[in-house]
Amino acid sequence: MTMDPKHFKENILLYGVDLHQWPEEIGQEGAELLQKFPGLQTILDEYEQFEEVLKTRKYEEPSGNLAQRIVSLSLHQEKESRIGLGFFLSRLFADELYLPKPALIVVSILTIIALLTGFFIGFSNPSRTVLTDQRQTNLQEFLHYEEGVL
Amino acid sequence: MIFMHPPRFHYLMVDHDNRKTAINMDIHFQHLDDESLICQIQEGKHEAFGEMVDRHSKRFYSTAYRLLFSKNDAEDIVQQAFLKLWERRLFWNPNKGAKFTTWFYRVVVNLCLDHNRKKKPMPLCENMELVDEKDGQEILLDEKRKQALMDRFIKELPERQQLALTLCFYEGLSNQEAAEIIGIKLKALQSLIMRAKTTMKEKLNHHFD
Repeated sequence: MTMDPKHFKENILLYGVDLHQWPEEIGQEGAELLQKFPGLQTILDEYEQFEEVLKTRKYEEPSGNLAQRIVSLSLHQEKESRIGLGFFLSRLFADELYLPKPALIVVSILTIIALLTGFFIGFSNPSRTVLTDQRQTNLQEFLHYEEGVL
Repeated sequence: MIFMHPPRFHYLMVDHDNRKTAINMDIHFQHLDDESLICQIQEGKHEAFGEMVDRHSKRFYSTAYRLLFSKNDAEDIVQQAFLKLWERRLFWNPNKGAKFTTWFYRVVVNLCLDHNRKKKPMPLCENMELVDEKDGQEILLDEKRKQALMDRFIKELPERQQLALTLCFYEGLSNQEAAEIIGIKLKALQSLIMRAKTTMKEKLNHHFD
């Protein structure tokens, strides 16, 4: 794409007034256009002045001990990084199994559903119910295991 | 064969009671790139964290200051961001191949935006009265008034334009990196910069001409 004065102006806004800072492929083109249209120099000067004004914005240096303060504080709050279940699962699936994010969400949801179903089946299974007599017997067996008295 | 210990240097750590402790730091940390350094941090090496803070705290403070317009707030945010990095060091995923600074810019920028949303807007005093019209003071006050006005114009920009202007113009990041930090496409970022600069130019021309 050949550059025209309109694009030249847009590029000044995007990359600044220093043509050497422009991306290589358009920097040369910009310099050639500037030679072709000397009027563009006025625009360049105008934007240079504008950038100078922008640079006068107030700025305060940080305190000299900022870095030291951060390092000291980090020593005080030294705690083991805690890993939650969600984080653990995401690291497990993302790192070990290399799943993309949407698949990771589906797998996580399916895992949770499977776990819940397992719990539900486990707790609602009638075969697991123990009759009082049987429980008492078992308790007796446990208490008098190998003739010993607990 | 001569065995040589790696060279070490010290930095002073000041604790809450103002006690100073010299901490040894392997000089090899200085030669590591950010991504290798963060791996060392993940292994719990505090010296590596110290090197990271040393290397980048000023840069991120500068961004925070431009977005918060306050030295104290900017220092607090940078502190908070680095402490989070240390506390949750295992959250960084080196396999994703992301550049550390890009990711950390995002952390700092998000903290700043949250802070600005929570904070009540403070009136900026660009209408300063001259108390004493001595030569030097007049110039100084004029300069301060201009700076306050510029801060006001920047604050009036929409949040994303402000962000684009800060990252690309004041921090000198490439358009591509700024787009990654804000989480938008390159074209969208370029549109934000153009709108931000055009608005600023119009306002400054209107006020100072």
